[in-house]
Amino acid sequence: MPQLTKTFPIKARDFIRAGEVSIQIQGLLKTIGFEPALIRRVSICAYESEMNVVMHGGDGTLTLNVDPSVILIEVKDDGPGIENIELAFQEGYSTASKEYREMGFGAGMGLPNIKKSADTVEIRSQKGGGTYLKMCFLLSRGDGQGTGK
Amino acid sequence: MGKGRENNLPTHYVQIDDKLCNGCVLCMKACPTKAIRVRNGKARIRGVCIDCGECIRACPRGAVKAITTVQDAARMKPYTILSSSPVLYTQFGEEVTPNDILLALRKVFRHVYDQAYVNELFNVATEFYIRERRETEEEGWPLISPICPVVNRLIAYRFPQLFKNILPLIPPREIAAREVRRRLYCESVFKTEEFGIYHLSPCSAKMISIKEPLFLNSSYLDGALGINEVYEEIKKFIGKDNSNIMIHRSGGVGIWWGMSGGEIAGLDSGKYLAVSGMPETIKYLEMIEMGLLGNIEYVEFRACSEGCIGGPMTAVDKYEAKHVLQKLVRTYGVRKKVDYSQARKAYREGWFLADRKTDIPPHRSGTLSISEAIQRQERVEEVYRLLPKKECGICGSPDCRTFAEDVVDGEADLDDCPIHKSRDRKVKIVHEG
Ligand code: SF4
Ligand code: SF4
Repeated sequence: MPQLTKTFPIKARDFIRAGEVSIQIQGLLKTIGFEPALIRRVSICAYESEMNVVMHGGDGTLTLNVDPSVILIEVKDDGPGIENIELAFQEGYSTASKEYREMGFGAGMGLPNIKKSADTVEIRSQKGGGTYLKMCFLLSRGDGQGTGK
Repeated sequence: MGKGRENNLPTHYVQIDDKLCNGCVLCMKACPTKAIRVRNGKARIRGVCIDCGECIRACPRGAVKAITTVQDAARMKPYTILSSSPVLYTQFGEEVTPNDILLALRKVFRHVYDQAYVNELFNVATEFYIRERRETEEEGWPLISPICPVVNRLIAYRFPQLFKNILPLIPPREIAAREVRRRLYCESVFKTEEFGIYHLSPCSAKMISIKEPLFLNSSYLDGALGINEVYEEIKKFIGKDNSNIMIHRSGGVGIWWGMSGGEIAGLDSGKYLAVSGMPETIKYLEMIEMGLLGNIEYVEFRACSEGCIGGPMTAVDKYEAKHVLQKLVRTYGVRKKVDYSQARKAYREGWFLADRKTDIPPHRSGTLSISEAIQRQERVEEVYRLLPKKECGICGSPDCRTFAEDVVDGEADLDDCPIHKSRDRKVKIVHEG
Protein backbone atom coordinates (compact mmCIF):
# COMPACT_ATOMS: atom_id res chain seq x y z
CA MET A 1 0.00 0.00 0.00
CA PRO A 2 1.66 3.26 -1.02
CA GLN A 3 1.96 5.75 1.76
CA LEU A 4 3.37 9.20 1.99
CA THR A 5 4.44 10.86 5.21
CA LYS A 6 5.72 14.39 5.54
CA THR A 7 6.42 16.51 8.57
CA PHE A 8 6.38 20.29 8.55
CA PRO A 9 7.67 22.51 11.36
CA ILE A 10 5.41 25.34 12.60
CA LYS A 11 6.84 28.31 14.43
CA ALA A 12 4.85 30.10 17.11
CA ARG A 13 4.06 33.75 16.40
CA ASP A 14 5.52 33.60 12.90
CA PHE A 15 2.68 35.51 11.25
CA ILE A 16 4.61 36.17 8.08
CA ARG A 17 4.75 32.49 7.21
CA ALA A 18 1.51 31.51 8.91
CA GLY A 19 -0.61 29.48 6.50
CA GLU A 20 2.37 28.31 4.42
CA VAL A 21 2.16 24.74 5.67
CA SER A 22 -1.52 24.48 4.75
CA ILE A 23 -0.81 25.88 1.31
CA GLN A 24 1.95 23.31 0.78
CA ILE A 25 -0.36 20.53 1.86
CA GLN A 26 -3.08 21.79 -0.43
CA GLY A 27 -0.61 21.80 -3.33
CA LEU A 28 0.61 18.30 -2.57
CA LEU A 29 -2.92 16.88 -2.42
CA LYS A 30 -3.74 18.62 -5.68
CA THR A 31 -0.70 17.13 -7.40
CA ILE A 32 -1.83 13.71 -6.29
CA GLY A 33 -5.25 14.50 -7.69
CA PHE A 34 -7.72 14.13 -4.84
CA GLU A 35 -11.25 15.47 -5.24
CA PRO A 36 -11.55 19.24 -4.65
CA ALA A 37 -14.15 18.81 -1.90
CA LEU A 38 -11.83 16.54 0.07
CA ILE A 39 -8.84 18.83 -0.46
CA ARG A 40 -10.93 21.68 0.80
CA ARG A 41 -11.89 19.86 4.00
CA VAL A 42 -8.29 18.90 4.66
CA SER A 43 -6.89 22.36 3.96
CA ILE A 44 -9.44 24.08 6.20
CA CYS A 45 -8.39 21.81 9.07
CA ALA A 46 -4.70 22.15 8.30
CA TYR A 47 -5.08 25.91 8.23
CA GLU A 48 -7.09 26.17 11.45
CA SER A 49 -4.75 23.88 13.36
CA GLU A 50 -1.67 25.59 11.97
CA MET A 51 -3.07 28.94 13.11
CA ASN A 52 -3.85 27.51 16.52
CA VAL A 53 -0.18 26.64 16.95
CA VAL A 54 0.98 30.00 15.60
CA MET A 55 -1.34 31.85 17.97
CA HIS A 56 -1.44 29.78 21.13
CA GLY A 57 1.14 27.05 20.85
CA GLY A 58 4.81 26.92 21.43
CA ASP A 59 6.67 25.62 18.42
CA GLY A 60 5.12 22.56 16.86
CA THR A 61 4.94 20.18 13.94
CA LEU A 62 2.29 19.10 11.50
CA THR A 63 2.56 15.61 10.06
CA LEU A 64 0.66 14.63 6.97
CA ASN A 65 0.02 11.01 6.19
CA VAL A 66 -1.54 10.10 2.88
CA ASP A 67 -2.73 6.73 1.80
CA PRO A 68 -5.29 5.83 -0.85
CA SER A 69 -8.09 5.38 1.67
CA VAL A 70 -7.43 7.96 4.35
CA ILE A 71 -5.63 11.22 5.00
CA LEU A 72 -4.32 11.78 8.47
CA ILE A 73 -3.04 14.98 10.01
CA GLU A 74 -1.34 15.16 13.38
CA VAL A 75 -0.42 18.44 14.97
CA LYS A 76 1.74 18.64 18.06
CA ASP A 77 2.91 21.67 19.95
CA ASP A 78 4.65 22.33 23.24
CA GLY A 79 2.50 25.35 24.06
CA PRO A 80 0.44 26.09 27.15
CA GLY A 81 -2.24 23.49 26.36
CA ILE A 82 -6.01 23.83 26.38
CA GLU A 83 -7.69 24.23 29.76
CA ASN A 84 -11.21 23.21 28.82
CA ILE A 85 -11.50 21.10 25.70
CA GLU A 86 -15.33 20.97 25.68
CA LEU A 87 -15.49 24.74 25.72
CA ALA A 88 -12.86 24.99 23.00
CA PHE A 89 -15.10 23.02 20.66
CA GLN A 90 -17.90 25.55 21.07
CA GLU A 91 -18.42 28.09 18.35
CA GLY A 92 -17.42 31.58 19.34
CA TYR A 93 -15.41 30.51 22.35
CA SER A 94 -11.98 32.04 22.15
CA THR A 95 -9.03 32.55 24.38
CA ALA A 96 -7.22 34.68 21.84
CA SER A 97 -5.79 37.85 23.28
CA LYS A 98 -7.07 41.28 22.26
CA GLU A 99 -3.96 41.76 20.15
CA TYR A 100 -4.73 38.68 18.05
CA ARG A 101 -8.39 39.53 17.70
CA GLU A 102 -7.42 42.92 16.34
CA MET A 103 -5.38 41.12 13.70
CA GLY A 104 -8.54 39.32 12.64
CA PHE A 105 -7.68 35.96 14.22
CA GLY A 106 -9.19 34.15 17.12
CA ALA A 107 -12.88 34.44 16.26
CA GLY A 108 -13.34 31.18 18.09
CA MET A 109 -13.99 29.22 14.91
CA GLY A 110 -10.83 27.09 14.93
CA LEU A 111 -11.79 23.86 16.67
CA PRO A 112 -15.52 24.01 15.77
CA ASN A 113 -14.51 24.34 12.10
CA ILE A 114 -12.18 21.40 12.44
CA LYS A 115 -14.93 19.34 14.01
CA LYS A 116 -17.23 20.13 11.11
CA SER A 117 -14.70 19.32 8.38
CA ALA A 118 -12.80 16.29 9.64
CA ASP A 119 -14.30 12.81 9.92
CA THR A 120 -12.76 12.09 13.28
CA VAL A 121 -10.95 14.39 15.65
CA GLU A 122 -8.88 13.38 18.59
CA ILE A 123 -7.42 15.92 20.94
CA ARG A 124 -5.20 15.47 23.95
CA SER A 125 -4.13 18.41 25.99
CA GLN A 126 -3.21 19.43 29.47
CA LYS A 127 -2.78 22.85 30.88
CA GLY A 128 0.93 23.47 30.61
CA GLY A 129 1.57 20.23 28.79
CA GLY A 130 1.18 21.02 25.10
CA THR A 131 -1.50 19.88 22.68
CA TYR A 132 -1.85 16.89 20.38
CA LEU A 133 -4.50 16.99 17.67
CA LYS A 134 -5.26 14.18 15.26
CA MET A 135 -7.66 14.49 12.36
CA CYS A 136 -8.80 11.79 9.93
CA PHE A 137 -10.35 12.29 6.53
CA LEU A 138 -11.94 9.29 4.91
CA LEU A 139 -11.76 9.18 1.15
CA SER A 140 -15.10 7.49 0.73
CA ARG A 141 -17.15 10.18 2.40
CA GLY A 142 -19.23 11.54 -0.45
CA ASP A 143 -16.38 13.56 -1.91
CA GLY A 144 -16.87 11.75 -5.19
CA GLN A 145 -13.79 9.63 -4.61
CA GLY A 146 -13.97 6.20 -6.15
CA THR A 147 -17.34 6.87 -7.73
CA GLY A 148 -15.78 7.02 -11.15
CA LYS A 149 -16.53 10.70 -11.33
CA MET B 1 0.80 17.01 -13.81
CA GLY B 2 2.57 13.69 -13.88
CA LYS B 3 2.42 11.32 -16.78
CA GLY B 4 -0.58 12.58 -18.66
CA ARG B 5 1.46 15.72 -19.32
CA GLU B 6 2.10 15.11 -23.02
CA ASN B 7 -1.45 14.32 -24.13
CA ASN B 8 -3.20 16.84 -21.89
CA LEU B 9 -1.17 19.88 -22.87
CA PRO B 10 -3.25 22.91 -23.63
CA THR B 11 -2.22 24.97 -26.64
CA HIS B 12 -0.47 28.25 -26.10
CA TYR B 13 0.28 31.35 -28.11
CA VAL B 14 3.68 32.08 -26.64
CA GLN B 15 6.64 30.97 -28.70
CA ILE B 16 10.38 30.66 -28.19
CA ASP B 17 12.64 31.55 -31.09
CA ASP B 18 15.45 28.97 -31.17
CA LYS B 19 17.73 31.28 -33.11
CA LEU B 20 17.67 33.91 -30.37
CA CYS B 21 17.45 31.62 -27.33
CA ASN B 22 20.81 30.89 -25.70
CA GLY B 23 19.43 28.50 -23.10
CA CYS B 24 19.88 30.69 -20.03
CA VAL B 25 17.39 29.87 -17.29
CA LEU B 26 15.62 33.20 -16.87
CA CYS B 27 12.29 32.43 -18.57
CA MET B 28 12.17 29.01 -16.93
CA LYS B 29 12.65 30.61 -13.50
CA ALA B 30 9.98 33.23 -14.18
CA CYS B 31 7.22 30.87 -15.32
CA PRO B 32 4.55 30.63 -12.60
CA THR B 33 3.23 27.27 -13.81
CA LYS B 34 6.71 25.76 -14.24
CA ALA B 35 5.94 25.04 -17.88
CA ILE B 36 9.44 25.68 -19.27
CA ARG B 37 12.46 23.36 -19.43
CA VAL B 38 15.86 23.92 -20.97
CA ARG B 39 16.78 20.91 -23.07
CA ASN B 40 19.80 20.66 -25.35
CA GLY B 41 20.63 24.26 -24.68
CA LYS B 42 17.23 25.67 -25.72
CA ALA B 43 14.19 26.66 -23.72
CA ARG B 44 11.05 24.63 -24.45
CA ILE B 45 7.46 25.02 -23.30
CA ARG B 46 6.52 21.55 -22.10
CA GLY B 47 4.00 21.95 -19.31
CA VAL B 48 0.73 23.80 -18.78
CA CYS B 49 1.23 27.28 -20.23
CA ILE B 50 -1.41 29.89 -19.39
CA ASP B 51 -0.07 32.56 -21.77
CA CYS B 52 0.75 34.97 -18.96
CA GLY B 53 3.78 36.45 -20.67
CA GLU B 54 6.11 36.32 -17.64
CA CYS B 55 8.66 34.58 -19.88
CA ILE B 56 8.37 37.37 -22.47
CA ARG B 57 9.26 39.91 -19.79
CA ALA B 58 12.06 37.77 -18.39
CA CYS B 59 13.97 37.09 -21.61
CA PRO B 60 16.81 39.58 -22.08
CA ARG B 61 17.33 38.53 -25.70
CA GLY B 62 13.79 38.99 -26.95
CA ALA B 63 13.57 35.32 -27.85
CA VAL B 64 10.10 34.83 -26.41
CA LYS B 65 7.17 36.27 -28.31
CA ALA B 66 3.40 36.12 -28.30
CA ILE B 67 1.79 35.01 -31.52
CA THR B 68 -0.74 37.59 -32.69
CA THR B 69 -2.71 38.30 -35.82
CA VAL B 70 -0.24 40.95 -36.92
CA GLN B 71 2.50 38.40 -37.44
CA ASP B 72 0.13 36.89 -39.91
CA ALA B 73 -0.94 40.17 -41.49
CA ALA B 74 -1.71 38.56 -44.82
CA ARG B 75 -4.61 36.78 -43.20
CA MET B 76 -6.24 39.93 -41.87
CA LYS B 77 -9.54 40.62 -43.56
CA PRO B 78 -9.69 43.57 -46.01
CA TYR B 79 -12.07 45.56 -43.80
CA THR B 80 -10.79 45.77 -40.29
CA ILE B 81 -12.73 46.90 -37.29
CA LEU B 82 -10.69 47.52 -34.22
CA SER B 83 -11.61 47.62 -30.57
CA SER B 84 -8.95 48.73 -28.21
CA SER B 85 -8.19 48.11 -24.59
CA PRO B 86 -8.24 51.43 -22.70
CA VAL B 87 -4.54 50.83 -22.02
CA LEU B 88 -3.94 52.35 -25.46
CA TYR B 89 -5.11 55.73 -24.09
CA THR B 90 -2.23 55.76 -21.64
CA GLN B 91 0.56 55.18 -24.16
CA PHE B 92 1.02 58.58 -25.81
CA GLY B 93 1.64 60.94 -22.92
CA GLU B 94 -0.73 63.17 -21.00
CA GLU B 95 -1.38 65.72 -23.74
CA VAL B 96 -3.00 63.33 -26.21
CA THR B 97 -6.70 62.64 -25.63
CA PRO B 98 -8.38 59.24 -26.10
CA ASN B 99 -10.28 60.69 -29.03
CA ASP B 100 -7.05 61.85 -30.73
CA ILE B 101 -5.75 58.32 -30.35
CA LEU B 102 -8.90 56.73 -31.74
CA LEU B 103 -8.80 59.10 -34.72
CA ALA B 104 -5.18 58.15 -35.40
CA LEU B 105 -6.07 54.49 -35.03
CA ARG B 106 -8.78 54.99 -37.61
CA LYS B 107 -6.18 56.13 -40.11
CA VAL B 108 -4.28 52.89 -39.71
CA PHE B 109 -7.25 50.55 -39.47
CA ARG B 110 -10.47 51.57 -41.11
CA HIS B 111 -12.97 51.38 -38.32
CA VAL B 112 -12.55 51.70 -34.61
CA TYR B 113 -14.79 51.89 -31.60
CA ASP B 114 -14.43 52.84 -27.98
CA GLN B 115 -14.40 49.80 -25.78
CA ALA B 116 -14.11 51.86 -22.60
CA TYR B 117 -17.80 52.67 -22.93
CA VAL B 118 -18.71 48.98 -23.03
CA ASN B 119 -16.61 48.50 -19.89
CA GLU B 120 -18.97 50.86 -18.12
CA LEU B 121 -22.01 48.95 -19.35
CA PHE B 122 -20.38 45.82 -18.00
CA ASN B 123 -19.94 47.50 -14.61
CA VAL B 124 -23.68 48.16 -14.47
CA ALA B 125 -24.43 44.54 -15.38
CA THR B 126 -22.06 43.35 -12.64
CA GLU B 127 -23.89 45.51 -10.11
CA PHE B 128 -27.23 44.02 -11.17
CA TYR B 129 -25.88 40.51 -10.99
CA ILE B 130 -24.32 40.92 -7.54
CA ARG B 131 -27.47 42.55 -6.19
CA GLU B 132 -29.67 39.70 -7.40
CA ARG B 133 -27.28 37.10 -6.06
CA ARG B 134 -27.04 38.68 -2.61
CA GLU B 135 -30.71 37.92 -2.11
CA THR B 136 -30.47 34.24 -3.00
CA GLU B 137 -27.01 32.89 -2.25
CA GLU B 138 -25.03 32.56 0.90
CA GLU B 139 -22.38 30.23 -0.49
CA GLY B 140 -20.04 30.55 -3.40
CA TRP B 141 -18.63 34.00 -2.59
CA PRO B 142 -16.53 35.79 -3.67
CA LEU B 143 -17.30 36.11 -7.35
CA ILE B 144 -14.24 36.42 -9.56
CA SER B 145 -13.89 38.86 -12.45
CA PRO B 146 -13.98 37.08 -15.83
CA ILE B 147 -11.87 39.74 -17.60
CA CYS B 148 -8.28 38.46 -17.43
CA PRO B 149 -7.83 35.38 -19.65
CA VAL B 150 -4.68 34.38 -17.79
CA VAL B 151 -6.50 34.26 -14.48
CA ASN B 152 -9.30 32.25 -16.08
CA ARG B 153 -6.76 29.71 -17.34
CA LEU B 154 -4.92 29.61 -14.07
CA ILE B 155 -8.22 28.79 -12.37
CA ALA B 156 -9.11 26.14 -14.96
CA TYR B 157 -5.82 24.28 -14.49
CA ARG B 158 -4.86 24.92 -10.89
CA PHE B 159 -8.04 25.92 -9.06
CA PRO B 160 -10.80 24.09 -10.97
CA GLN B 161 -13.18 24.15 -8.02
CA LEU B 162 -13.18 27.95 -8.22
CA PHE B 163 -14.33 27.90 -11.83
CA LYS B 164 -17.91 28.27 -10.67
CA ASN B 165 -16.99 31.49 -8.84
CA ILE B 166 -16.17 33.27 -12.08
CA LEU B 167 -18.83 35.90 -12.82
CA PRO B 168 -20.94 34.38 -15.62
CA LEU B 169 -21.09 37.53 -17.78
CA ILE B 170 -19.42 37.84 -21.17
CA PRO B 171 -16.42 40.20 -21.08
CA PRO B 172 -16.84 43.65 -22.68
CA ARG B 173 -14.46 42.95 -25.56
CA GLU B 174 -16.66 40.07 -26.71
CA ILE B 175 -19.94 41.90 -26.13
CA ALA B 176 -18.71 44.82 -28.18
CA ALA B 177 -17.52 42.57 -30.99
CA ARG B 178 -20.84 40.75 -31.02
CA GLU B 179 -22.82 43.99 -31.35
CA VAL B 180 -20.60 45.30 -34.15
CA ARG B 181 -20.87 41.99 -35.93
CA ARG B 182 -24.65 41.95 -35.68
CA ARG B 183 -24.94 45.47 -36.92
CA LEU B 184 -22.70 44.75 -39.88
CA TYR B 185 -24.72 41.69 -40.78
CA CYS B 186 -27.99 43.59 -40.59
CA GLU B 187 -26.80 46.60 -42.49
CA SER B 188 -24.79 44.38 -44.84
CA VAL B 189 -22.25 47.04 -45.61
CA PHE B 190 -19.63 44.38 -46.34
CA LYS B 191 -19.76 40.79 -47.30
CA THR B 192 -19.25 38.77 -44.16
CA GLU B 193 -16.05 37.16 -45.33
CA GLU B 194 -14.58 40.57 -45.99
CA PHE B 195 -14.55 42.03 -42.52
CA GLY B 196 -12.66 41.09 -39.43
CA ILE B 197 -12.95 42.39 -35.87
CA TYR B 198 -9.68 42.59 -33.97
CA HIS B 199 -8.76 43.47 -30.44
CA LEU B 200 -5.83 45.76 -29.81
CA SER B 201 -4.41 44.87 -26.43
CA PRO B 202 -1.41 44.72 -24.11
CA CYS B 203 -2.08 41.08 -23.46
CA SER B 204 -0.24 37.94 -24.55
CA ALA B 205 -3.32 35.89 -23.72
CA LYS B 206 -6.02 37.57 -25.82
CA MET B 207 -5.12 35.41 -28.79
CA ILE B 208 -5.81 32.16 -26.93
CA SER B 209 -8.98 33.61 -25.42
CA ILE B 210 -10.15 34.21 -28.99
CA LYS B 211 -8.95 30.99 -30.58
CA GLU B 212 -9.93 28.71 -27.71
CA PRO B 213 -12.39 30.53 -25.46
CA LEU B 214 -13.19 28.97 -22.12
CA PHE B 215 -16.69 30.38 -21.74
CA LEU B 216 -18.00 31.00 -25.25
CA ASN B 217 -18.61 28.39 -27.89
CA SER B 218 -16.73 30.63 -30.21
CA SER B 219 -15.33 34.13 -29.96
CA TYR B 220 -16.86 37.09 -31.79
CA LEU B 221 -13.38 38.43 -32.46
CA ASP B 222 -11.19 37.37 -35.36
CA GLY B 223 -7.84 38.04 -33.77
CA ALA B 224 -5.70 40.18 -31.52
CA LEU B 225 -2.81 42.59 -31.99
CA GLY B 226 -0.29 43.76 -29.44
CA ILE B 227 -0.21 47.52 -28.75
CA ASN B 228 3.58 47.46 -29.09
CA GLU B 229 3.32 45.93 -32.55
CA VAL B 230 1.44 48.83 -34.09
CA TYR B 231 2.52 51.61 -31.75
CA GLU B 232 4.91 53.45 -34.07
CA GLU B 233 2.43 53.39 -36.89
CA ILE B 234 -0.36 54.87 -34.76
CA LYS B 235 2.00 57.49 -33.42
CA LYS B 236 2.65 58.82 -36.93
CA PHE B 237 -1.00 59.76 -37.28
CA ILE B 238 -1.56 61.39 -33.90
CA GLY B 239 -2.90 64.89 -34.46
CA LYS B 240 -3.21 64.39 -38.23
CA ASP B 241 -7.00 64.17 -38.25
CA ASN B 242 -8.76 67.48 -37.77
CA SER B 243 -12.31 66.24 -38.13
CA ASN B 244 -14.60 66.77 -35.20
CA ILE B 245 -15.86 63.23 -34.98
CA MET B 246 -16.21 62.00 -31.39
CA ILE B 247 -15.46 58.31 -31.12
CA HIS B 248 -14.57 58.27 -27.46
CA ARG B 249 -17.67 58.22 -25.29
CA SER B 250 -16.70 56.82 -21.91
CA GLY B 251 -16.25 58.55 -18.59
CA GLY B 252 -13.15 58.16 -16.44
CA VAL B 253 -14.30 54.80 -15.14
CA GLY B 254 -14.17 53.01 -18.50
CA ILE B 255 -10.57 54.16 -18.92
CA TRP B 256 -9.65 53.32 -15.34
CA TRP B 257 -10.15 49.65 -16.25
CA GLY B 258 -6.63 49.81 -17.72
CA MET B 259 -5.11 49.55 -14.28
CA SER B 260 -5.62 47.43 -11.21
CA GLY B 261 -8.59 48.59 -9.17
CA GLY B 262 -10.26 50.28 -12.14
CA GLU B 263 -12.92 47.66 -12.70
CA ILE B 264 -14.15 47.69 -9.10
CA ALA B 265 -13.91 51.48 -9.04
CA GLY B 266 -16.86 51.39 -11.43
CA LEU B 267 -19.05 49.38 -9.04
CA ASP B 268 -21.37 50.83 -6.44
CA SER B 269 -20.73 50.10 -2.79
CA GLY B 270 -19.97 46.55 -1.75
CA LYS B 271 -17.12 44.43 -0.49
CA TYR B 272 -14.68 44.26 -3.36
CA LEU B 273 -10.96 43.58 -3.72
CA ALA B 274 -8.52 44.27 -6.55
CA VAL B 275 -5.52 41.96 -6.70
CA SER B 276 -2.81 42.21 -9.34
CA GLY B 277 0.42 40.44 -10.21
CA MET B 278 1.02 36.73 -10.55
CA PRO B 279 2.31 35.85 -7.06
CA GLU B 280 -0.50 37.77 -5.34
CA THR B 281 -3.10 36.31 -7.68
CA ILE B 282 -1.98 32.78 -6.83
CA LYS B 283 -1.88 33.56 -3.12
CA TYR B 284 -5.39 35.01 -3.08
CA LEU B 285 -6.81 32.15 -5.14
CA GLU B 286 -5.31 29.77 -2.59
CA MET B 287 -6.97 31.75 0.18
CA ILE B 288 -10.35 31.68 -1.56
CA GLU B 289 -9.94 27.97 -2.06
CA MET B 290 -9.49 27.55 1.68
CA GLY B 291 -12.69 29.48 2.23
CA LEU B 292 -10.93 32.46 3.77
CA LEU B 293 -12.47 35.29 1.75
CA GLY B 294 -16.15 34.35 2.01
CA ASN B 295 -16.99 37.83 3.30
CA ILE B 296 -15.81 39.47 0.05
CA GLU B 297 -18.26 39.78 -2.85
CA TYR B 298 -16.10 40.38 -5.89
CA VAL B 299 -12.41 40.06 -6.65
CA GLU B 300 -10.90 41.80 -9.63
CA PHE B 301 -7.85 39.69 -10.47
CA ARG B 302 -5.29 40.84 -13.01
CA ALA B 303 -2.33 38.60 -13.75
CA CYS B 304 -0.11 41.55 -14.63
CA SER B 305 1.32 43.66 -11.86
CA GLU B 306 -0.57 47.03 -11.71
CA GLY B 307 -3.19 45.58 -14.08
CA CYS B 308 -3.28 45.68 -17.88
CA ILE B 309 -0.97 48.73 -18.09
CA GLY B 310 1.63 46.19 -16.96
CA GLY B 311 0.80 43.83 -19.83
CA PRO B 312 3.72 42.33 -21.79
CA MET B 313 2.68 43.97 -25.06
CA THR B 314 2.53 47.59 -24.00
CA ALA B 315 4.78 50.26 -25.49
CA VAL B 316 5.57 52.38 -22.43
CA ASP B 317 6.56 51.69 -18.84
CA LYS B 318 3.64 50.80 -16.58
CA TYR B 319 4.31 53.57 -14.06
CA GLU B 320 4.46 56.17 -16.78
CA ALA B 321 1.16 54.77 -18.08
CA LYS B 322 -0.29 54.90 -14.57
CA HIS B 323 0.57 58.57 -14.32
CA VAL B 324 -1.22 59.31 -17.59
CA LEU B 325 -4.17 57.16 -16.60
CA GLN B 326 -4.64 58.95 -13.31
CA LYS B 327 -4.70 62.23 -15.16
CA LEU B 328 -7.29 60.89 -17.62
CA VAL B 329 -9.50 59.76 -14.76
CA ARG B 330 -9.34 63.24 -13.25
CA THR B 331 -10.19 64.80 -16.62
CA TYR B 332 -13.10 62.53 -17.51
CA GLY B 333 -14.43 62.18 -13.99
CA VAL B 334 -14.65 59.38 -11.48
CA ARG B 335 -17.92 58.24 -12.96
CA LYS B 336 -19.54 56.29 -15.75
CA LYS B 337 -21.17 57.93 -18.72
CA VAL B 338 -23.47 55.03 -19.52
CA ASP B 339 -27.17 55.38 -19.90
CA TYR B 340 -28.52 53.33 -16.97
CA SER B 341 -31.88 52.57 -18.50
CA GLN B 342 -30.19 51.28 -21.65
CA ALA B 343 -27.88 49.16 -19.52
CA ARG B 344 -30.75 47.79 -17.46
CA LYS B 345 -32.69 46.89 -20.57
CA ALA B 346 -29.68 45.14 -22.07
CA TYR B 347 -29.14 43.20 -18.86
CA ARG B 348 -32.78 42.10 -18.68
CA GLU B 349 -32.62 40.97 -22.28
CA GLY B 350 -29.69 38.72 -21.41
CA TRP B 351 -27.17 40.73 -23.40
CA PHE B 352 -24.38 39.91 -20.97
CA LEU B 353 -25.35 36.36 -20.16
CA ALA B 354 -26.04 34.78 -23.53
CA ASP B 355 -23.98 32.06 -25.19
CA ARG B 356 -21.98 31.18 -22.17
CA LYS B 357 -20.79 27.60 -21.85
CA THR B 358 -21.41 26.12 -18.44
CA ASP B 359 -19.32 22.96 -18.40
CA ILE B 360 -16.43 22.92 -16.02
CA PRO B 361 -13.06 21.66 -17.22
CA PRO B 362 -11.79 18.36 -15.80
CA HIS B 363 -9.93 18.64 -12.53
CA ARG B 364 -7.48 15.79 -12.97
CA SER B 365 -4.65 16.73 -15.27
CA GLY B 366 -2.84 13.43 -14.97
CA THR B 367 -3.93 9.94 -15.85
CA LEU B 368 -2.66 8.21 -12.71
CA SER B 369 -4.92 6.60 -10.16
CA ILE B 370 -4.77 7.93 -6.61
CA SER B 371 -2.63 4.97 -5.58
CA GLU B 372 -0.18 5.49 -8.40
CA ALA B 373 -0.09 9.19 -7.75
CA ILE B 374 0.80 8.67 -4.09
CA GLN B 375 3.50 6.24 -5.16
CA ARG B 376 4.86 8.74 -7.62
CA GLN B 377 4.85 11.41 -4.92
CA GLU B 378 6.78 9.12 -2.58
CA ARG B 379 9.46 8.65 -5.22
CA VAL B 380 9.54 12.39 -5.85
CA GLU B 381 10.22 12.94 -2.14
CA GLU B 382 12.97 10.31 -2.26
CA VAL B 383 14.74 11.93 -5.20
CA TYR B 384 14.19 15.38 -3.71
CA ARG B 385 16.02 14.33 -0.55
CA LEU B 386 19.11 13.54 -2.66
CA LEU B 387 19.21 16.96 -4.29
CA PRO B 388 21.35 19.88 -3.08
CA LYS B 389 18.39 22.36 -2.95
CA LYS B 390 20.43 25.15 -4.49
CA GLU B 391 17.56 25.84 -6.90
CA CYS B 392 20.05 26.79 -9.63
CA GLY B 393 18.25 25.47 -12.70
CA ILE B 394 21.40 24.14 -14.40
CA CYS B 395 19.73 20.74 -14.73
CA GLY B 396 17.21 22.34 -17.08
CA SER B 397 14.27 22.19 -14.66
CA PRO B 398 13.05 25.29 -12.83
CA ASP B 399 13.79 24.11 -9.27
CA CYS B 400 14.95 21.05 -7.34
CA ARG B 401 11.41 19.85 -6.61
CA THR B 402 10.30 20.03 -10.23
CA PHE B 403 13.56 18.34 -11.24
CA ALA B 404 12.73 15.51 -8.84
CA GLU B 405 9.33 15.19 -10.55
CA ASP B 406 10.96 15.20 -13.98
CA VAL B 407 13.38 12.46 -12.91
CA VAL B 408 10.52 10.32 -11.61
CA ASP B 409 8.53 10.93 -14.78
CA GLY B 410 11.51 9.86 -16.89
CA GLU B 411 11.93 13.28 -18.44
CA ALA B 412 15.28 14.01 -16.84
CA ASP B 413 18.22 12.04 -15.54
CA LEU B 414 19.47 12.37 -11.98
CA ASP B 415 22.94 12.99 -13.44
CA ASP B 416 21.63 16.16 -15.09
CA CYS B 417 22.19 17.76 -11.68
CA PRO B 418 25.89 18.64 -11.72
CA ILE B 419 26.12 19.09 -7.96
CA HIS B 420 24.58 15.73 -7.21
CA LYS B 421 26.81 14.13 -9.82
CA SER B 422 30.08 15.50 -8.41
CA ARG B 423 29.02 14.73 -4.87
CA ASP B 424 28.20 11.22 -5.90
CA ARG B 425 31.69 10.75 -7.38
CA LYS B 426 33.36 12.03 -4.26
CA VAL B 427 31.50 9.50 -2.21
CA LYS B 428 32.57 6.74 -4.56
CA ILE B 429 36.24 7.75 -4.54
CA VAL B 430 36.34 7.86 -0.77
CA HIS B 431 34.69 4.50 -0.75
CA GLU B 432 37.14 2.85 -3.15
CA GLY B 433 40.22 4.53 -1.70
S1 SF4 C 1 3.44 32.41 -20.97
FE1 SF4 C 1 3.49 32.18 -18.73
S2 SF4 C 1 2.78 30.10 -18.37
FE2 SF4 C 1 3.34 30.21 -20.54
S3 SF4 C 1 5.48 29.51 -20.60
FE3 SF4 C 1 5.51 31.75 -20.45
S4 SF4 C 1 5.71 32.15 -18.28
FE4 SF4 C 1 5.03 30.00 -18.46
S1 SF4 D 1 -3.80 41.72 -16.58
FE1 SF4 D 1 -4.65 42.47 -18.50
S2 SF4 D 1 -2.90 42.47 -19.91
FE2 SF4 D 1 -2.34 41.19 -18.17
S3 SF4 D 1 -2.87 39.12 -18.76
FE3 SF4 D 1 -4.64 39.92 -17.63
S4 SF4 D 1 -5.99 40.86 -19.17
FE4 SF4 D 1 -3.99 40.51 -20.12
